[in-house]
Amino acid sequence: MRPYGALGGENLVDQLPNLGREDEMLSAMGMSSMDDLFSDIPEHVRRVTPLDLPPPQTEEEILREARMLLDMNISVDSRPSFLGAGLYSNFVPTMVPMLATRGEFLTAYTPYQPEVSQGILQAMWEFQTLISELVALPVSNVSMYDASTSAAEALTCAVRIHDRKATQKSTIYVSELLPPDRMSVIQNYTQGAEIVIKKIPHDDDGMLDLTAAAEAQGASAVYVEQPNALGLLDTGLCKLKSIIGDETALIVGVQPVSLGLVTPPGEYGADIVVGEGQPFGIGPTGGGPIYGIFACTQAYIRQMPGRIVGLSMDSDGERAFTLTLSTREQHIRRHRATSNICSNETLIALMGAMHMSLLGPDGLQTLAKRNAGACAATKTALLSINGIEAVHPNGSHFNEFAIRLPKPTADLLSFLDEECDITGGFDLSRWWPEREQELLVCATDQIDAEDIDELVEGIQDWLEGYQ
Amino acid sequence: MSDLFEFNGSEGAGYAQPAPISDGYSIPPELQRRDLPRWPRASEPELVRHFTWLSTRSHGIDSGFYPLGSCTMKHNPRVNERIVQMPGMNDIHALAPASHLQGLMAIFHEMQEMLEHCAGMDAVTLQPVAGAQGEFTAMRCIQEYHRDIGQSQRDKVIVPDSAHGTNPASAAMCGYEIIEIPSLDNGRLDLGALRAVVGDDTAAMMVTNPSTLGIFEPEISEAAEIVHQAGGQMYYDGANFNAILGKTNPGLMGFDAVHYNLHKTFSQPHGGGGPGAGPIGVKDHLSDYIPAPLVVADEDEEGEVWFDWYTPPKSIGKVQQWHGNAGATVRAWAFYRRYGRELEKMSEHAVLNANYLRHQIMNPSKQVLDGIHAMPIDGAPTDIVKHEFTLNMSPLKDATGVTGKDVAKRLLDYGYMAPTLYFPMIVPECLMLEPTETESKEAIDQFASDFLRILAEDPELVKTAPHDTPVKRVDEVWAARNLILRHPIDDK
Repeated sequence: MRPYGALGGENLVDQLPNLGREDEMLSAMGMSSMDDLFSDIPEHVRRVTPLDLPPPQTEEEILREARMLLDMNISVDSRPSFLGAGLYSNFVPTMVPMLATRGEFLTAYTPYQPEVSQGILQAMWEFQTLISELVALPVSNVSMYDASTSAAEALTCAVRIHDRKATQKSTIYVSELLPPDRMSVIQNYTQGAEIVIKKIPHDDDGMLDLTAAAEAQGASAVYVEQPNALGLLDTGLCKLKSIIGDETALIVGVQPVSLGLVTPPGEYGADIVVGEGQPFGIGPTGGGPIYGIFACTQAYIRQMPGRIVGLSMDSDGERAFTLTLSTREQHIRRHRATSNICSNETLIALMGAMHMSLLGPDGLQTLAKRNAGACAATKTALLSINGIEAVHPNGSHFNEFAIRLPKPTADLLSFLDEECDITGGFDLSRWWPEREQELLVCATDQIDAEDIDELVEGIQDWLEGYQ
Repeated sequence: MSDLFEFNGSEGAGYAQPAPISDGYSIPPELQRRDLPRWPRASEPELVRHFTWLSTRSHGIDSGFYPLGSCTMKHNPRVNERIVQMPGMNDIHALAPASHLQGLMAIFHEMQEMLEHCAGMDAVTLQPVAGAQGEFTAMRCIQEYHRDIGQSQRDKVIVPDSAHGTNPASAAMCGYEIIEIPSLDNGRLDLGALRAVVGDDTAAMMVTNPSTLGIFEPEISEAAEIVHQAGGQMYYDGANFNAILGKTNPGLMGFDAVHYNLHKTFSQPHGGGGPGAGPIGVKDHLSDYIPAPLVVADEDEEGEVWFDWYTPPKSIGKVQQWHGNAGATVRAWAFYRRYGRELEKMSEHAVLNANYLRHQIMNPSKQVLDGIHAMPIDGAPTDIVKHEFTLNMSPLKDATGVTGKDVAKRLLDYGYMAPTLYFPMIVPECLMLEPTETESKEAIDQFASDFLRILAEDPELVKTAPHDTPVKRVDEVWAARNLILRHPIDDK
C-alpha cells in the first residue's frame, strides 16, 4: 500500500497538503522519522495494530454511498406527513442555506476576536433583536442546543435568581403535559442542583389547572408551553403571572411560528421564553442540528446561559460588536459558570435570522395563518369521520390536535404508512401509555387540501377494515 | 455599513407564499397578537447583499490560517456539506418510524462502531450535541453508576488546573464538588497532588491527553491506577483526540469514559460558534447508563440487515430531546470515510505540523533573531509536542510592554485568526497554537515568519493593533457596561 502518489482513496494528497514532504519538515527539526513525533507516548499505552477500519474512499465513492444511504430514508416532503410533536415540516427559502454556507460563516468559530468577526457578531446581534421582537422580551442569547435544553437551563437560571427569597426552596413547577423526553432533559439538568420538580395538572379541556398552579407561589419557577404538547392554546396562561407572583419566574415554551398570530408571552408576563427555533431556518433534520431560543427580561441577564453579543465601538469610535457578559461563562468562571455551554448552534440561528428577515412581519403572519389554516382544515375533515373524536373538542389549536380512535393508534399508523404512503401523526402512547387510542395530528404550512383528502380516505379505509 | 433594521420596504405580503388553505381557524381573543414584531421588510436582493456583506466581515478557515489552539480548526471538506443538503437529511423527522430512517441509522451504527474502535471503548452514544454536553452526559452516567452500586458518597471530581473550563463547569452542573490540582512546573500531571486528594469521595478525574499544553502525559496510566484504586472513574476529554488517532487510545490509557468532538476531530464545520457534536464512549460497566438513541443492527429471516433504536436499561435519559446532531454525525461519517484506516495519517500530520510550526517560531535565523525584542518561552519544556503548543509571551511584555493580546491582535492584520489567548491559565501571557493537518508547509512557514516579524516590530504599532481589519480594536469594557443587546429599532 502506497501512502501517496497512489490512485484511489489511498491517495490522501488532496486532504493532507504535506503528504510526501514529511522528510523535508522532519529534517528541518533534526528528526528522521514520523515515529520520532510519537516517541513521547509510553510503550505500554501504544496501539500495536493499525486501525481496523475500511480503506479510504474518494469523494466520488463517498457521495455515491451517501446518496444510496440517504435515499433509504423517507423524507417528510415525499408524502403527506402529519407528524409534528415538536419538530415541524416547513419550507426553507433557498437563500438561507446558500448564504449560510458561505465559508466565512460556515468555517469560523466563536467570535473571540471581534475585529475580524464583525459579520457573525452583527448577524447574531440582529438575531437577538429578531427573537426579542418575536417573543416581546428585551434580551435573547445566540442560541441553545434545542428547546429542551433551553427550558432546562431557564429553570436552573431562575432558581439561581429566585431561590434565596423563595419559600419553597429549590422547587420548580412544570406542566404535566411536557413530552417525557423533554422532562428527562429537564431532570438531567436540574438534579445536580437538587431541584425538586412538581407538576401542575391540566383539566379535561387540556387547560392548565390555575387553582393548582397557585401552589407554585413561593417556588423559583413555573414552566408551561403555549401551544402545549397537544397543540392547545391556553388563555389561562395570560393570568398565570399574576397568580404565581413576581418572585416566581414564569417560563413559557413556544412554537415560534405561532407568534405570527398568538400574543407573545412577553406581553402576558413571561420572564423567560424558550422554544425550538427549528421552523425558522432549517427542516426537522432528524432532530439536529437545530437551535433553542432563549429570551428573558433584564433581571435574568447575569445568570442566563449562552453567548450574548453587545454593541460597542472600536478605538476610532466606530460602531462595532463583541461578545459580552463573558464572565458568566465556563472559560472564565469555570465551575462557577452559569452553564457549561460552549459550542452552541450559531450557524442554525444564523439560518433562522435569514429566514425571519426574509419573511418580515407580514410574511410571518401569513406563515402563521397557513399553519393555523392547515391545522383547522385537517381537524374539521378528520372530525367529520364517523368514529373519530376530538380529545379536546372545546380547544383552540395551533399546528396540532389530538383525536381519539376506536382502535389502537399504532395500528392506524402502520396501515397509513404501509397501505397509503402517509405518515399519519404521532402515537401518543409513545409518551403516555394510557393514551394508546389517541393520535396527535400535525398540519403545517406544508399540508395542502389533497394531503388532507388522502388522510381522510386512509382513515376511512382503515375503519372499514374493522367493520 | 448595512443594517438589517434599516430595511423598511412597503407593508404588504412580505415573503411570497401560497395562500392559506383555510381561514377556519380561531385564536381566542385574549391570545390574538395585536402588534407584529418589528422585523425588517426586505426583498431577497437586499438581504442577499446584506448577509454577503456580513460574511465578508468574518474570518473562517476558508479565509485564512486559523491556529486557534484546542479548537482544531481544520479544513471542512465541501463534499460533507453537499451530502447533508441531499434529500433524506434535512427533511427527515426524528420521531418517524425506524423504517423511515434506515439510512441515517446505518450511518449512526457505523459511527458508533468506528468511534468505539478508535477510542478503545465498548459503547458509544451519539446523543450529546457539543463537547461540553458530552462531558456533562458522561459525568451523569458516572454519577448514576455510583448511585447504583451504593457509592453515592462519591461527590468530588478532580480536574488539573490546565483543564478546559467546560470540565469543571460540566461536573459542577451534575452537582459535583470540584477539586482542582496544580500541574507540575513542567506542565505535567502532579501524581503527588493527585494521591493527596483521592479517596472514597472521589467520583472521577477529568483529563485531556495530550494536555492543553500539547504534551502527552507520560504517567497517564499511573494516574488512572491511582484514581481506580480509590474507586473513582477516569474521564477523557476528547478535545485533543486529533493528536493520537491510531497511535494510542483512551482505553489503553485506562479511561472509563470519553467524549469526542465531531466538530474538531471529524471536521463538522464550527459555524461561527456551533453546531458541534459531542458523542460519548464508555467501557462496559458504564454502558447501561448512557442516553438513547443507540442503534442496533439485526438481521431478518432473509438475512437483510435491519436497524433499530435501543435504550439501555438504566439510561440516564435524554440530554437533548432528539437524536443528537444527526447532521453533524453524517458529516463526520463522510469525513471518516475519506480517511478510513488511514486516520492515523491525519493525526501524524497534525502532530508534524504543530512541531514544525513550533520549531520554525522558536528557531529563527540569527539575522531574524537580532531584530526581535524578546523571544517567547516554550509553554512547556519538552522536546516534542502533539497537535498544539503554548508560548509564554512575557519576555516581550517585560521588554516592550507588548502583551500576548497585542501580538494576537497584530496577527489579525496579517490575515490570520489569532491563537487561543491566555489559556491555559498556568502559562503566563499564553498563546496556544494548533495548526492542524490541513495547513501546507508554505502556509506554516509564512505564518512563522510573520509571527517573528511582529516580535521585531515597533511596540507602539503592535500595541495599537489591529490596523487593517474591518474595525479597529473593539472596546469590550464599553459593551459590558452599557449592555446594548439588541437593535433599538426607531419607530418610523
